[in-house]
Amino acid sequence: MSLATEIKFTLNGRPVAVRVPVTMKTLTMLRDLLGLTGTKYACGEGECGACTVKVDGKTLNSCLMHAVDCDGREVVTIEGLKTPEGMNPMQRAFVDHGAVQCGFCMPGMIMQADYLVGENPNLTREDAQRGLEGNLCRCTGYTKVLDAVGSVVEQKCCGRC
Amino acid sequence: MEQKVATPIEKKTLIGSRVKKPDAADKATGKTRYINDMVLPQMLIGKVLFAGRPHAKIVSIDVSAAERLPGVHAVLTGKDAAGLKFGFVRDNVPLKEKVLCEHDEIAAVAADTEEIALKALELIKVEYEDLPAVFSPEAGREASAPQLRENFPDNKSLRFEFKHGDLATAEAASDFIADNIFRPHHVTHCCMGTSCAIADFDNNGKLTIWTQTQYPYNYKMDLAPALGIAPGDIRVIQPPVGGAFGSKLDVYPYEPIAALLARKTGRPVKVIYSREEEFKASPTRQAAIIHMRTGCTRDGTLTFRSADVLLDNGAYTSWGPTIPVIMMRTTSGHYRVPVVDFQAQAIYTNNPYAGSFRGYGNVQTTFATAQQMDILADQVDIDPLAFHLKNAQKSGEVTPQKSFLRECVLAECLETAARASDYSRKRAAYAAERGKPGRYKKGIGLASSIHNAGGAKIHKSDGIGTILKVDDYARVTVITGASEIGQGIDAVINLIVAEELGVPLEHITIINNDSDIAPWDVGVHASRTTFIAGNGTRRAARKAKAQILKAAEKMLGEPAAALELRGGSVVRDQCGTPLIKLDRLLRQMHFQAEPELVMVTDYYEPNSQPEGADHVSDHSAAYSHAVHIAEITVDTLTGEIKVDKITSAQDVGRVINRMGLEAQTEGGIAIGLGYALSENMQLEGGMLKNPCFRDYKLITAPEMPELEMHFIESHCAEGPYGAKGVSELPTIVIAPAIANALFNATGVRIFNPPLSPEKVARAIHETRQGGN
Amino acid sequence: MQDIKTYLSPRGIDEAVRAMAAGDVTVFCGGTDLSPQVESGARQYTATLMNIRRVEGMSGIAEAGNLVRIGALTTVTEIRRDPLVARVASILAEAAEHFASDQIRNAASLGGNICNASPAGDMINPLLVLDAEVELARWQDGAVATRRVAMADFFLAPRQTAKRDGELLTAVFFARPATNFVACFRKSGPRPALEISTVSVGIGGRLDNGVFRDVRVAMGSVAPTPLRARHVEAALEGKRLDADGILAAVAAAKTDAKPIDDVRASAWYREHLVQVFTEEVLNHVLGN
Ligand SMILES: Cc1cc2nc3c(=O)[nH]c(=O)nc-3n(C[C@H](O)[C@H](O)[C@H](O)COP(=O)(O)OP(=O)(O)OC[C@H]3O[C@@H](n4cnc5c(N)ncnc54)[C@H](O)[C@@H]3O)c2cc1C
Ligand code: FES
Ligand code: FES
Repeated sequence: MSLATEIKFTLNGRPVAVRVPVTMKTLTMLRDLLGLTGTKYACGEGECGACTVKVDGKTLNSCLMHAVDCDGREVVTIEGLKTPEGMNPMQRAFVDHGAVQCGFCMPGMIMQADYLVGENPNLTREDAQRGLEGNLCRCTGYTKVLDAVGSVVEQKCCGRC
Repeated sequence: MEQKVATPIEKKTLIGSRVKKPDAADKATGKTRYINDMVLPQMLIGKVLFAGRPHAKIVSIDVSAAERLPGVHAVLTGKDAAGLKFGFVRDNVPLKEKVLCEHDEIAAVAADTEEIALKALELIKVEYEDLPAVFSPEAGREASAPQLRENFPDNKSLRFEFKHGDLATAEAASDFIADNIFRPHHVTHCCMGTSCAIADFDNNGKLTIWTQTQYPYNYKMDLAPALGIAPGDIRVIQPPVGGAFGSKLDVYPYEPIAALLARKTGRPVKVIYSREEEFKASPTRQAAIIHMRTGCTRDGTLTFRSADVLLDNGAYTSWGPTIPVIMMRTTSGHYRVPVVDFQAQAIYTNNPYAGSFRGYGNVQTTFATAQQMDILADQVDIDPLAFHLKNAQKSGEVTPQKSFLRECVLAECLETAARASDYSRKRAAYAAERGKPGRYKKGIGLASSIHNAGGAKIHKSDGIGTILKVDDYARVTVITGASEIGQGIDAVINLIVAEELGVPLEHITIINNDSDIAPWDVGVHASRTTFIAGNGTRRAARKAKAQILKAAEKMLGEPAAALELRGGSVVRDQCGTPLIKLDRLLRQMHFQAEPELVMVTDYYEPNSQPEGADHVSDHSAAYSHAVHIAEITVDTLTGEIKVDKITSAQDVGRVINRMGLEAQTEGGIAIGLGYALSENMQLEGGMLKNPCFRDYKLITAPEMPELEMHFIESHCAEGPYGAKGVSELPTIVIAPAIANALFNATGVRIFNPPLSPEKVARAIHETRQGGN
Repeated sequence: MQDIKTYLSPRGIDEAVRAMAAGDVTVFCGGTDLSPQVESGARQYTATLMNIRRVEGMSGIAEAGNLVRIGALTTVTEIRRDPLVARVASILAEAAEHFASDQIRNAASLGGNICNASPAGDMINPLLVLDAEVELARWQDGAVATRRVAMADFFLAPRQTAKRDGELLTAVFFARPATNFVACFRKSGPRPALEISTVSVGIGGRLDNGVFRDVRVAMGSVAPTPLRARHVEAALEGKRLDADGILAAVAAAKTDAKPIDDVRASAWYREHLVQVFTEEVLNHVLGN
């Protein structure tokens, strides 16, 4: 058995303490130890983005990140995007625009889309295309995904002016 | 008591509107529990040992160390599966005693954890004796080739033929003949959710299997021999899946392996693939060598089409080598072809084997037919659009194989796409630029195809069962055989029920994932589900409605024919005045003197004819066409093709759920683009060299071109509300449209997809060298 | 596989290199190279696993006199967005722009990219053009000792570098380029990013009244290690950057590149691309 160590971090706004093998990846910790199966495995090597989570405000591939590296950090998964009022605007936009088919890529896709809009409120369609290049989807052809992201950008814009 | 005058409820149709998938919110929030996420109490993890070599004898296999490892509960080898033959021609077994391809399953382990299972695999000692192998169908037919299968001399697997008219006469009457060899390659489905099955036996010997299957009912029939049990003793449960695209239309060894391990251990066993295993062990799109010839007269009238097809069967026979059934329909039916000569032979090799994949045979064939249309137009020296229009069938025509094109709007599709993209002008302008200097060249290419759009009766039945109930609260439950794999039949069923019964979309529940509950269906494939399940749902809903209105007639004293269901109430059809709330009516029906519940059943069988051995039959209830026009920019130095825009025009019969239709078209195009441009299983000596997304390149968001989609409504008499099936054509037509655009831009034609940068650069480079 | 006995997450360089001196340490930062390598069995963890992400003094981008210092922990995202980099070494930002995906860029460290020593390492190419040096720290005689090695001398053989066992790469330095320094980077692939270079070419130098000086040319994925293309440099050095000069450089590119066939491209295509990119990059340089 691999060496294990205890780590403490914030997961979706709540503190957690968990003992993890030092070689374990964040994805496995989330799914198998913490029961958060929203984050998906689809390649395990950083190529597909299905495992995207936010760590200290930045999106990462949780399949590559050692779980021990979560220690002391703030981790947000797809389950943590939901607000007490329901889906967050990005989740709602994906649903409303028909961007979800089999949906397997969607937790990662939505995490990344949400991050992109947070980083750049004036995100263009082309920016969004570039920003989602690390998220593979076999079902949708990305078109409705981009429509959904665009609609959130517009809403944000309207909210300000 | 004073009666308020109720406001009338207007008649509103949902047909053609945008309806959300009911499961989207759970999927978008990570709540959906996919099969990949499932854990059952006591569940063990199954892992498979793959051969990792293409052809070998197993001299010895020693599993004793694996069996002794703590945490291991069962180890199985070929011996444990001897005689458990399954597959299309019963040429497969769950675990092998001889190696015929790289991913042959040699042994399987069930253990407490994946880690232990993997460790156990490492402890299995296998001694192989490698054998000379066959890596291409051409090599496989050579007299000197090793015979891979006892019962298949010359390595010949399936064979198909269709001939119509006299070829020699037609050839003699042709002024031009396009004659090319096309080599469609191996690609694979790349479902984002990797393959997974969970099996559990009860103590009466009945198996429950949670699977990703797309065809739950025939699946039982196909799985049973792999386990030596009766099909009736299998219960199939279909949890949400991460895509399928045809890859789950057969039984693949991991499924019986999970079941065999479950039987041996008496515990639930889950087998789930890593991405690398998925690449190596899941089926491919059928690779082929297509020698196609198409002739025409000087005035551009097609005279004949012949195709001599050699299929790389791979080591086992799944749906892949059966694609000629569709290939020949395209050969004989893609435009008016008076004389047809089609033959296809599948040859066993030691390569991975093919299953069905969105577009089933038609992706490969259209890559050939649609390029030859372009080649011939060039020879005749007319605008391809005019050439296509001249040969386009019209409503009422029948193809040589007796596909009856009842409602055919091919010409309208062609004209719409061409007009929208300014095709003819651009094509001429780009062709004029072709020889001139300049690194970046623009091109435009047109391609079209025909596909079954009302199912395909390759089984004895192409039907579906539907059970529909409306409860005391006016909530509707539809229990249907129709499988949902992400394509959106759930939204279509909701839409149809709401349309017919006037209930809110949110008041409808669909149960379609348990073979012990839901009735028969042939499966989600062949672009059939909206057509077949749509009809089934509509028929069931109408039966329920008739029962409800009859009860209303009795209760309200107004004739049923003058009543309608709208906005959750029974209304007067004419003025929309609500007469009684539906839930109240239902409760009154239930609690009256002669109580009744609204529970109806329906079995819908489309009016198509079984395929038959001679392949002359109207095998689909509808056929449809699509036209794609691709506009590209080619970097003539790096060979990179940038697809700038795709304009599509497709006969959809009638738009039902517009959002779903768009989504299917967009997604289909993306898969077609990957096929055309970048996806390629690089096989060397039967071994896959690129089993990862790093080197097997799917289309990503930045590569997605602008799409302009035109849905042409031909109003199919047999289809639900006039709809036809839609979801394969977008994948089928794109590659030849790009190939034709490449020719328009550069004068280079590529017959072996993908049109990868290196291939394009080399072809252009060689043309230039040759030209010097 | 060896069992891991210790896990460390040091806060200081001293703490880190002291532990490394004991030997048998596997260092990780973003893990974007290490994780897949271990997963595929290409590499194995050793007795001590050390997470260096929290080591202080190894992050960030700053000017120190005439030098620009980039800490080894700096992520590709930070490089991509840094105003100083954009101003004085835009070629580095350009390479960061074409590096993997957002998620990888957010995790991938500069030090990891260099130490992984892949011929396709995209940060390496512009750093060779900038004539950068790496700073290596080790524990010696009870204290941290450092040395600097020029990037051009750092890559010895496939996946082998001048970094010795027990050495930690702490930072990268390069001299702030002259105001007339121009440089450009080009990487192949139809995708904007998420594409391991089939070939990359970076070229930089001072453009002095049309004459190209202090020329440095780097090539990726055309040899077992990242490469300085000395023949192309010689063809360009001190020459006018005109059509003839570019032609000579393109011809020389063939001499420098020693590509092989692999799953991503044939040797023919790589050689072809190197020439195409050399020409393209030089035209860009001219255009600037
Ligand atoms: C999907 C994907 C796409 C990618 N695309 C690209 C690309 O386009 N271009 C490109 O260049 N790379 C690419 N990479 C490779 C990778 O992301 C980079 O090389 C990255 O910079 C490595 O940094 P890291 O912090 O993740 O390194 P780690 O994986 O943590 O470490 C890499 C290696 O360096 C050693 N190491 C790390 N830091 C130090 C240090 N300070 N001192 C001593 N040794 C150290 C580690 O021991 C290990 O051997 C890609 C990777 C993936 C998974
Ligand atoms: S599973 Fe992490 S990127 Fe694919
Ligand atoms: S929705 Fe199925 S993979 Fe994206």
